[in-house]
Amino acid sequence: MKKILVILIFFIGQASWAQTTSPSKREVIGRDIGQLKGIKISGRIMDEITGEGLVGATVTVPELDLTRVTDKNGGFELLLDRAEYTIQFRYVGYETIDYPITAVGDGRMTIRLIQEDFQLDDVVIFGRDPEKNIRSTDMGAITLSMNTMRELPPFMGEIDIVRSLATLPGVSQVGEASSGLNVRGGGVDQNLIQFAGAPIYNPSHMFGLFTAFNADVVNDVTLYKAVVPAKYGGRSSAILDILPKAGSVSKWGGDLMLSNYSGKISLNGPLIKDKVSILGGFRISYINWLLQSLSNPTVRNSQANFYDGNLVISAPISNKNEFTYSYYTSYDDFAFASDTTISWRNTAHSLQWKSKLSSKLSFEALGYYTLYDYGIFNLSGISDFEINSEIQDLGGKFFLGYNFSETSKIVFGGEYKQVNIQPGELVPKGTQEDILFKKVQNEAGREAGIHFQHDFELGEKFGFAYGLRYDTYQYLGSRVVRQYAENEPLSDGSSIGETSYKDGEVIQTYGGLGPRASFRYSLSKASSIKLGYNKMYQFIHLISNTATIAPSDVWKLSDNFLGPQIADQYSLGFYNNFKGNIFETSIEVYYKDLQNVVEYKDGATLIMQNHIETELIPAEGQAYGVELYVKKNLGRLTGWASYTYSRSLRRVITPYEEENINDGEWYASNFDKPHDLTLIGNYKVSTNTSISATFAYSTGRPVTFPEAKFEYSGINLAYFDSRNQQRLPDFHRLDFAVNFKFKGQGRFFDGNWTFSLLNVYGRRNSYSIYFGESDGSPPQALRLAILGVPLPSLSYAIKF
Amino acid sequence: MVKKLIYILLLLPMACIDPYQVNVPGGPQLLTVDGLIHSGPGPHAVTISQSATYGSIFERLIRPVRGAIVVIRDNEGNVILLEEGLETRGSYFTPVGFQAKIGNSYTLQIQTAEGKVYTSLPERVESAPQIENIELKTVKIPVKGETNPRSGVQLISEINDPADQKNFYFWRLSPVVHVLEARPDLHFDQRTLTPAPKACCYTCFKTEAVGNQSLFIAQDDSFNGLKTRIPTGFIEDNGIRFVNKLRVDVNQYAVSKEAYRFLRLVKQQAEINGSIFDPPPATIRGNMVSLDDPEEVVLGYFIAAGASKKRIYIDKSDLTFRQNTVIIPDDCRAVDGAKLFPPADWNP
Repeated sequence: MKKILVILIFFIGQASWAQTTSPSKREVIGRDIGQLKGIKISGRIMDEITGEGLVGATVTVPELDLTRVTDKNGGFELLLDRAEYTIQFRYVGYETIDYPITAVGDGRMTIRLIQEDFQLDDVVIFGRDPEKNIRSTDMGAITLSMNTMRELPPFMGEIDIVRSLATLPGVSQVGEASSGLNVRGGGVDQNLIQFAGAPIYNPSHMFGLFTAFNADVVNDVTLYKAVVPAKYGGRSSAILDILPKAGSVSKWGGDLMLSNYSGKISLNGPLIKDKVSILGGFRISYINWLLQSLSNPTVRNSQANFYDGNLVISAPISNKNEFTYSYYTSYDDFAFASDTTISWRNTAHSLQWKSKLSSKLSFEALGYYTLYDYGIFNLSGISDFEINSEIQDLGGKFFLGYNFSETSKIVFGGEYKQVNIQPGELVPKGTQEDILFKKVQNEAGREAGIHFQHDFELGEKFGFAYGLRYDTYQYLGSRVVRQYAENEPLSDGSSIGETSYKDGEVIQTYGGLGPRASFRYSLSKASSIKLGYNKMYQFIHLISNTATIAPSDVWKLSDNFLGPQIADQYSLGFYNNFKGNIFETSIEVYYKDLQNVVEYKDGATLIMQNHIETELIPAEGQAYGVELYVKKNLGRLTGWASYTYSRSLRRVITPYEEENINDGEWYASNFDKPHDLTLIGNYKVSTNTSISATFAYSTGRPVTFPEAKFEYSGINLAYFDSRNQQRLPDFHRLDFAVNFKFKGQGRFFDGNWTFSLLNVYGRRNSYSIYFGESDGSPPQALRLAILGVPLPSLSYAIKF
Repeated sequence: MVKKLIYILLLLPMACIDPYQVNVPGGPQLLTVDGLIHSGPGPHAVTISQSATYGSIFERLIRPVRGAIVVIRDNEGNVILLEEGLETRGSYFTPVGFQAKIGNSYTLQIQTAEGKVYTSLPERVESAPQIENIELKTVKIPVKGETNPRSGVQLISEINDPADQKNFYFWRLSPVVHVLEARPDLHFDQRTLTPAPKACCYTCFKTEAVGNQSLFIAQDDSFNGLKTRIPTGFIEDNGIRFVNKLRVDVNQYAVSKEAYRFLRLVKQQAEINGSIFDPPPATIRGNMVSLDDPEEVVLGYFIAAGASKKRIYIDKSDLTFRQNTVIIPDDCRAVDGAKLFPPADWNP
């Protein structure tokens, strides 16, 4: 045993030594004991400078038409026959290495890739594996690496994960200050956003101006918008899976960025050399000066602060076992000029254990705790109070994966979580007793799911993936539940009694089977057709009467009045790559059917509402669309164009005519934007300078215009009848950025200067149009533009 | 260059609100009712108008509905005929001496000159507690593009909310009466452009209605049974009102739950500011229906409420911040609504 170890060490040393000298000389790998088949070569790909493992790099053996993707530590494994090979190592944003070897016996190799500094003709915009879009059976799964996002013009000085995703087909945002995503006609609450496996409830800073994730600590982001693998559940539209980076086990390093809006720093390195790594990141805004320069006097007298922090401890304790702990927090407070402060915070802990039980069997377990809380503080001197609200998730999941072969694998797993919500608690804060303590009943629920998925290929042409997930959910006491008179709308007036449930007592149970299936037929090596279906359940609803996620929004569990949201989605796609994968194209069509989407009664009161069922109406939703996508991966000019035609509709039919919205007809949802076009280009001007630009166009979102103007109590009012019948003016905006890489002496001087200009031609895109009186002028239509002028930013980033 | 760039970055105004021309389709003209009768002394008014299309005020006016027959019935069978004001067309007034009775229910019935008949749903009169005390708070409102803020006085009322019932409150200010100070000695002849001082008069009393962009309402959900303080009105300082003394009555109405819901929707709409957290526009439905066509939309609300009121005199020294005094270089009687003598019950 000891002998083997010594030999291994020898080969590791040899391989890396050989690599750093000249990869063109053929390297002999392994100890020659005359082995002919089943030669196992394992290795690790790492960054030349930082020593961090490169996750998701590809290892290709062209002779065998074999491709491997590196794991979380940058590790890979190849099973070869005794022969000569030229192995290709590729990673986005790094120089590709063709590495000739002769495999003679089991061995190990370490490859160090060098980051390309805007090397011409060699920048891959994204896609870790150039033919993945064609070959995989996945549908609508998009992975964006941080290197890809760096190619986009930054938003307010830095990479914005959520906004980057919104440039993709089928993904949109309500407006310029809104952090959530609308994926294929779904609401912002229908996306599960998870960071290192833990759900995050509010992904935004500053009411949506900034994304609450620090791009420097994120490794990659995957969005599933069509067929969601069975291992994910709990939300009905899409899954956004954000994975943090792991620190380097060999060497200390970090990133620093300063912009005119915010600054961030991250550090990573070995806690125990070659065993345990740590990565910490911190980001803070100094946005107050910006607020003070705004022309709106209320905003000018406001104060805003935010920060977010990350900690990742990764312990690849052996080749077989790895533990990762991740901590994430984000905090915001915003003080309005009128003595009201609102603050909100996300906290998430997760611990993951990944184990390789054998070459075919792998196991993963993950536990998490997440807390989202907000507070509203009124310290105006009259009836001072504080409102507190929070939502907590405590859960765990496990996966067992078994690879029958290269082309056939199954994943089986289970998931359980408990959700506790404190919808609101009003605590008097004044010296006088002039306001009552008030508490909305807490909510509790538990959710469990088991799932199974099998992915396999039949020859080159056919690929299948089918899965099944069963979700069950219970709404729990303690709780006092009202009963309402039959044949009457739910209202305070129709309440006829109450039932008390004890702590932990089951009030309502829901559950259902969620099948997932996709099928791929390859027309050629460069083109394929895919078909997919999935069904998802969601037992939680965002109670928000605005079109975006507001920090003070309340989440509500499904109860005996409000059933789970259920989505059925059918999709069909055609994928074709041209010119050796330089161009990727795709057309996808989808149809989605939604049940139990929440709509609101006119003038609903949602904050501190103890009987929220009296303010809500369940709606049906339907969404359909066609998405076109063309991407150029290589060359001086890279980028993509995406165009989506889609509709997102809602319908409310209740037994009570007065509660129907728009007479029970289909109407456009708040984020229905039929035409949506994004053009993105990145042009390398020289080896150290690049420019990028984004142009976005979309139909204006629906708004409600008044039918009439009337006067009551001296106030001019608008009478609205049907919802969402008119539209805002079309949205279009051009953003532009220049990136200059500064070559200095020593690593602390190699920096990136990025200057960006958002909204280049200063279009006042309407966020909303509303009807009212502004000072001294008659009642009229008024337009709010969030980004009414060109918005410049300047940032400087270094890696050390 | 760098310095200049930073300067530009620092001066950045970002968000903005501006008027926007939209073509709102011309809607139907809808009958609108704004009526409030209460248990206090009258006369009480019911104003009837015709809605207009949202847009330019010059083209589409909200017109009063004249010549209608307006009656109020109570649950005891009494019928009270309201009479249209001679100067205020479209406003109909209860006879002198009419006061709504606590515990009674009232309905409003309207027959227009064209013969269309409308009725309200019955409204029950609840009793209103007294306003114990009124505190004043000077409020500054920053104004876009101006260095000087607007300002005014917030009236904070103290009430003892009855514990045994759900209470819905609506507050309205009476027209204010204030001392008006002018400078006739500074009068200037507009034609000859020469000083033309007048001997009289320096001090008058002006009565005027102070409008508010919103409503003051509350329900006792969060203060049932407590002694509480609630903002119940606001009087803006226009540089004339608060030069000496000002008198105002805070009228407190105990309204029905349905009326409260209506008022809340009105308030919600009046306070919409286009922000990303605005609720979507809501249909404001009242308690009026057409007897000829149940599908016809009738706007507005007829409220019958218990009332109480408290009168206060505000001295200029009560304000911690005042606007610069506007100088009126004329006889104070030349000002609209100004009289030389105070009302008979002026008793600061």
